Amino acid sequence: MTASRLDAALQQENQTRPRSFSLGGLIRRRPETITFILLVAICVAVALINPAFLQPSTLIDIGRASVVMGLFALGVFIILAAGGIDVSFTAIAAFTMYSMTVVVQSHLPGLPIAVVLLMSMAGGALLGIINGLLVHHLNVPSLIVTIGTQYLFRGILLSFIGTVWIMSLPPQMGAFGRLPLVQFEAATGATITLPFYFLVLPIAAVLTWFILNRTLMGRAIFAVGGNANIASRLGYSLKTIHIFLFGYAGALAGLAGIIHVCANRQANPFDLVGTEVNVIAAVVLGGAKITGGTGTVLGTILGVLLVVVINSVLVMVGIPSTWQRLVVGIFILLAAAFFVTKQKNR
Amino acid sequence: MTDVMNAQQAGRPFLELRNIHKRFGGVHALRGIDLSLDRGEAYHLLGENGCGKSTVIKIMSGAHAPSEGEIVLDGKTHASLSPIQSLQAGIETVYQDLSLIPNLTVAENVALNEQLVSAGGRLARLFDRKRLRQTAEKALATVGLPGDRAFLNTVVSDLPLAARQLVAIARAIATRARLVIMDEPTTSLTRREVDNLIRVVERLRSENVAVLFVTHKLDECYRIGGQAVVFRDGQCVAKGPIDTYSKKELAELMTGRSIDSERYRTAKPGDEELFRLDRLAAPNVEPISLSLKKGEILGVTGLADSGRNELAMAITGVQPATSGTMTLAGRPLSVRRPGEAIEAGIGYVPEDRLAEGLFLDKSILENEIALVVTKLSNAFGIIDKRKGRALAAKLSEDMRLNTRDIDLPVGALSGGNQQRVLIGRWLSIAPKLLVLHGPTVGVDVGSKDTIYRAIQQLAEAGMGLIIVSDDLPELLQNADRVLVMNSGRVVASLDAESASEEDLYKAMLASHSETVQ
Repeated sequence: MTASRLDAALQQENQTRPRSFSLGGLIRRRPETITFILLVAICVAVALINPAFLQPSTLIDIGRASVVMGLFALGVFIILAAGGIDVSFTAIAAFTMYSMTVVVQSHLPGLPIAVVLLMSMAGGALLGIINGLLVHHLNVPSLIVTIGTQYLFRGILLSFIGTVWIMSLPPQMGAFGRLPLVQFEAATGATITLPFYFLVLPIAAVLTWFILNRTLMGRAIFAVGGNANIASRLGYSLKTIHIFLFGYAGALAGLAGIIHVCANRQANPFDLVGTEVNVIAAVVLGGAKITGGTGTVLGTILGVLLVVVINSVLVMVGIPSTWQRLVVGIFILLAAAFFVTKQKNR
Repeated sequence: MTDVMNAQQAGRPFLELRNIHKRFGGVHALRGIDLSLDRGEAYHLLGENGCGKSTVIKIMSGAHAPSEGEIVLDGKTHASLSPIQSLQAGIETVYQDLSLIPNLTVAENVALNEQLVSAGGRLARLFDRKRLRQTAEKALATVGLPGDRAFLNTVVSDLPLAARQLVAIARAIATRARLVIMDEPTTSLTRREVDNLIRVVERLRSENVAVLFVTHKLDECYRIGGQAVVFRDGQCVAKGPIDTYSKKELAELMTGRSIDSERYRTAKPGDEELFRLDRLAAPNVEPISLSLKKGEILGVTGLADSGRNELAMAITGVQPATSGTMTLAGRPLSVRRPGEAIEAGIGYVPEDRLAEGLFLDKSILENEIALVVTKLSNAFGIIDKRKGRALAAKLSEDMRLNTRDIDLPVGALSGGNQQRVLIGRWLSIAPKLLVLHGPTVGVDVGSKDTIYRAIQQLAEAGMGLIIVSDDLPELLQNADRVLVMNSGRVVASLDAESASEEDLYKAMLASHSETVQ
């Protein structure tokens, strides 16, 4: 050690270190602990009031409902981690899912489902890259750019591609939506199915975690979220990062869109758009700061589960579904207030 | 050994700038710079704020492209460099703002760039955590920081400023650097940390690395030795071994006018007592009693952890005192918040003017009237613009700002002028007592001169001043008395006219039990 000032500062840090074993310290280092505690608390409370909650069918419903929102949330999270924000992902998803359904239905009826999924991801990535290029070259905050492109993508979809609600899907898409991963009979005799597409979410989560934590690109994303000017001075190419970020989020949105279609067995061009805030809320509840540079994949997934659980179980305990927003809103404020106090206290 | 290598490579400097010009819009920041940097040599780039030093650094590190001229790097000619090109060639920069990424860990800040540079800036690469840790441990040990896992995983924004400065230096030497540029690397370091940095520089030079310093601290330049390069108005006005120039000559070269390094203090303090502390205690400050006369200038110094900062913060309500009393102009005061200090007539110019003092994107006008907006506004809260402008214009003139345009954002001014705006703001409330914390940190010679003259004028007008500073010549030149703090106590009170820097150092560094007379 070289200096007394430093010694003092580091000593101070040493003194605070034992404290970090406490709950407060844990929450400061891993804000998603709060999300986890909230999630468990709600599940316990609901299970006590209405034991039906613990039935496998409910849990599987929650899992199934998390897929589309989870994919969106992963995309939102990595853009948030880099200090940006995206509100166009639902428009990208609507655009790709509807166009893809139209293409498969009227031009390429025999296209294998794997190719359909890949093409949707590619289409989403392409639209995302448009976002990335605009953010980079216009040098405008990504919120503004993606508000613009949300209208743009949706406008093109509704004006040029179609407004007709497609009720009968191409058979391979319908089959993919029904393909079971796990299937068993409940006590009531009904068949309960965890669909195959559920697998997409854990795979996407692990991939996103890997990119963020094990590649230079991932570190670069957090560096840009910390301070973009400095990152560029240190040799990180902002253009590459912007294109990757929005391209990746776009691909996830494209995938989410097509899964949404397959799961619901219909393609409604007016779907999805309008749910952005719900997804952003989930990511923020997962501990990612809206100002960028922080957050984890685990937290994001927990945030999604929390919102999905609130949305699906309140009804089970007799709270009207109109209360969902109220509860989510209160939780966001509580969690945010909690994170802020934790930071002031250190 | 070094000499032999120097001789071998004597014909080819590591980096050469030829006739470099840089224009920003209508501003001609660099006007034909020729500069060549040899391996293993130390260079001191000197000059006033705004003379083009930072621009030249940014051209070398690839942040700016020159408007004209060429860069010869290792024998190859370039019109401009990209950041990654510059890093790959071994040019490492410690920026004045440190350029650390606040949300990443110490290890990542120190060693991530090594992996980025060896990947040629391509990001589709796995990130090697083991190599990251090893590189970071080695570099941290060199600058004297711990390399344990807990420290490596600390997020940089949780570190104190001095440690951050060392982390930034560790990053620069983590790779096989061939030229290390340091832009004011010692502003927040204590003497011992500076000593260690100087050892690091010597080691780099013995490893044939060129080092380029940008600093206002001439004493450190002399200790390091090497070549002086003096800039003025975007041109290089002198080059040569630094020990062939006296401080006075360097100051004159930088400013283009002769600068007095004599004592500024001219007037004598009055007889009437203005301010007194009776057993005032604060966190890190043992009970202190002192008295200040009208028109008196009191210097306070000590090491960073001596309690001098806490004393200043206790007087000004930034971090209130825990016990004891304060009396200003015969009235007892209780100062629990900065607002109460301002009302009582105590002004405070904080050390970190950028973080604590100024609204950088607001105009000079808005910054200067920030404390008096309520006085300038009518019952409906609407500000009397004409009065505000007149006041701001007068303050700017009093502080001799180098611009007449009071609508200019403060961020566009040089450090010295920013400091003048900040002091000008306090004059707007006509305080009885002004506490200045590091009034000339990061300020060039010419601006120091105006700031000192302004301080003397304030004292002549009867204001009491307390200057808390590391800069010992500054205190000796400006104050009547200098208090030295050590471990939260005042260990010496010296007459500024007869005391020497050595006297002050001795008291600052004395072990905690001794009391120096």
